[in-house]
Amino acid sequence: MTPALLPPSAAAALLTLVAAMLLRAVHPARPGVFAPLSLVVSIAALAPLAWAVAAPLEVSPLRAVLLAALAIALLARDPRELSQTECALKLTWVLGAAFALSASGTALLTLAAGTAVPHEQWSALALSLDPYALWSAALLMTLLAGLVLLGGAPFHFWPADVIHGSRAWLAPLIVASLQASGAAWLLHSLASLQGFAQGEKLTRGLLSLAAVVALVGGAVTLAAQRRPERRVGGLASLQGALVLVAFSVDPLRAPFASLGPYSLAAWAAHLALALTGATALAHFLPVSSVESDPPPALARRHPWSAAAAAYALLSLAGAPGTPGAMLWLEVARRLAATRHPGLLAALLLAWLVAFAVAARETRRLFGAPTSMPAPEATVPRFARIALWAVAGGLAALLLAWSLAEQVAG
Amino acid sequence: MSSVIEAPKRRIAKLPAQAVGGACATVGVVLLLVPGVMWAALGVELLALAFWLWARALPDRAEQMPRWAWLRRPAMALWLATALAWVLPPPMGLQGLATVLELPQWVAPASAAERDPLAMLRALQSLAVLWAGLELLAALPLSRPYPDLTGPLPAVGPWLTAMLPGTGFLVLWRQSAVWSSGPLVREIAAAALLLAAALAVLRAYSRRSLTASLRWLAVFDSALAAMLLAVDAVPGEVAALLWLATAGGRLTALAAELRGAAARRGPELTFLWRLAGWSASASLAWPLLVAVGFSRARLHPIEFVLLAAPIFLAARLSLSRIVEAPERRALERPDPLSALSRAGALGTMLLGPLALMIAWWRGFEGSFPGVAIALLPAALAWWRPPRNEVRPAGSQRTPGVAGASARDFALNAFRAVTAFEQRLAVALAALARALGAPARDLHSGDAQEYLLFLVGISVLALLLPLLR
Repeated sequence: MTPALLPPSAAAALLTLVAAMLLRAVHPARPGVFAPLSLVVSIAALAPLAWAVAAPLEVSPLRAVLLAALAIALLARDPRELSQTECALKLTWVLGAAFALSASGTALLTLAAGTAVPHEQWSALALSLDPYALWSAALLMTLLAGLVLLGGAPFHFWPADVIHGSRAWLAPLIVASLQASGAAWLLHSLASLQGFAQGEKLTRGLLSLAAVVALVGGAVTLAAQRRPERRVGGLASLQGALVLVAFSVDPLRAPFASLGPYSLAAWAAHLALALTGATALAHFLPVSSVESDPPPALARRHPWSAAAAAYALLSLAGAPGTPGAMLWLEVARRLAATRHPGLLAALLLAWLVAFAVAARETRRLFGAPTSMPAPEATVPRFARIALWAVAGGLAALLLAWSLAEQVAG
Repeated sequence: MSSVIEAPKRRIAKLPAQAVGGACATVGVVLLLVPGVMWAALGVELLALAFWLWARALPDRAEQMPRWAWLRRPAMALWLATALAWVLPPPMGLQGLATVLELPQWVAPASAAERDPLAMLRALQSLAVLWAGLELLAALPLSRPYPDLTGPLPAVGPWLTAMLPGTGFLVLWRQSAVWSSGPLVREIAAAALLLAAALAVLRAYSRRSLTASLRWLAVFDSALAAMLLAVDAVPGEVAALLWLATAGGRLTALAAELRGAAARRGPELTFLWRLAGWSASASLAWPLLVAVGFSRARLHPIEFVLLAAPIFLAARLSLSRIVEAPERRALERPDPLSALSRAGALGTMLLGPLALMIAWWRGFEGSFPGVAIALLPAALAWWRPPRNEVRPAGSQRTPGVAGASARDFALNAFRAVTAFEQRLAVALAALARALGAPARDLHSGDAQEYLLFLVGISVLALLLPLLR
């Protein structure tokens, strides 16, 4: 057992897998030879994604490519699911191109440094024998796949597309695992930079710019989204932006350090859990409604389950009193301590928009009471258990992180 | 038959919303009294939740829910201030926020060692608290018209909207350490509050009904009390006592009015309430006029006149609007509310002068003749121009009869300002939408476009280093 697989992040990843399976059980298996085995096959397929969430530091660039391939295969496996296959196509285009460009960057870097070993590359470049334009372009290109995988603006389209276009049991783990892979990609790419001052400076500048664009662009587009699924996608994109901000402060240090030694895993586990609850909720919400409309079936028949789902959504947005808020606060404190007022202002803007959008969605969820009879069809029990599991997991994360913070403080 | 069965069900469904909303509002107001921005944020959030719960239980919920949705704005502003309070380290080597927010420092920054890189964010924190307080006080354009409306709880609707400016004052009073130590923020607050007070008294004058006038006078009183904090005229506790005397008196009078005009039963009680309203209003206005009009031992005529005019009008309204209610019963019955109303009037009358005594005890002083001149606007309210008209014996003088043209002027002035503000807000929102439109259409959803976008980004990544 690797250290990163220890609780609470590993437990949260496992809980996400369980919740995904519960949501999967809501849909009847398609008739066929493998129908009785569908649940087992689903678990086997999703397990690597859950592993990436539980142990993002173990995700090497090669494993990130394999995870992306698995995600695309899962989306594309059923040709009758048109929206899912469309998502698979889009992901193939985007991630394929991003990986190819990053591979080109690595090749360029090898060309410039004369060696393929990362630690030797930077030492060689530090001698300043090679043109700046060559190695800096190569460095930026190597980071591109990480930036795309994190899903921060302007690459914020793919999380929203996946959550909008694919099933509620599949989308959260795909998005969370790919975003965790993006964070791991950046960590791997930047790990060998230590000691190469010019490269560190360039990376810090690039990541700061990317973080500001991701926060401001993400906030503006989140406010403009018209569908609940895409709003959840926008919130996921802001989580990627949060990691970018943490990296821009200190590119060589794993973000969210105050949450314990397995900090990146904690972020990924929270993302997966909150995204599972929020995505399930988004599928229950009407596409277009105002606050005074009657609530959807979930809130009318099972208001407490709706409240559990709303907690996940609020946590994804970083509302106070949720574990998500601790992640935003951790990053904001680091920005304040290192005197980054511009980035901190962008972070506050994004947080305000995210919180306001989540609060509005919560109000829309409960709507206004109506005298019309409640819909006949109940919300499946498995879906409700999944929502409760997610909310329980998030509450446990909040408790664990609060304790960790108290011990550290 | 079904409606007979459903009626009690509906009553049961409504009862918890009202009770839960009431509990939320009560806890929210109590939290506003607790020091700490987080508690204020939670308090206003609970207040917004209460209004939402009440509004969604009403038959006209489609109108009521959007009407009270703005209450989340001050809550969000306070959450922003809370987040900044949690995040920002204390300023190094600086004496509170005052040194950070001094205008000269913005114009000519201190040396690099003295400069605080987070000064703008500290200013943002102050402005966020101020925004929340002013918006609850109906002192900002977007929330300005709400005291004209009745609240979403039918039983106490008019009283509810009279209570909201009080919550704004509570926010500004309890969080004054965050916003009132910076001169620039204080100047902004004083200007916004002066405008709010002037508009509130104009609106109170233009409304004929006593309940509407009292609601606007509560806004006026809360704005003046907050201005006492902004100009640092008296200690916060004294300002709170003066606010309690004036706005609390209006709220009590409003409650009495809603319970069968209990403040206007009989000539003696009516006069007592007039005197109480005037006394509290004069007590609140006097230290403010002394501090603003005669600061640094010299007269500031423009500030004095700008402040004295609405104060005079408010004092006049306190005296003229409360007219004796006609007794329609042949035999007057003993009214248990009358004793309560009398006690409320006496409390209102005494609290203001008591607060002034405490202020004097704690060091408040003014120069002569400033202290005497500052009494004039309120004192002049007693003076009435002689009227030539002959009223028939036994007829009641109602506020609706006289001063119609002056009331039209007040109404038009109020409407002109609010219409201008609304148009400005609409124009700014339209501009923001226009600027944000490209963000919405950044990606059309076409798979080919994604690839092109990524290639464009990578070309940029290649070109950027060359532009160094």
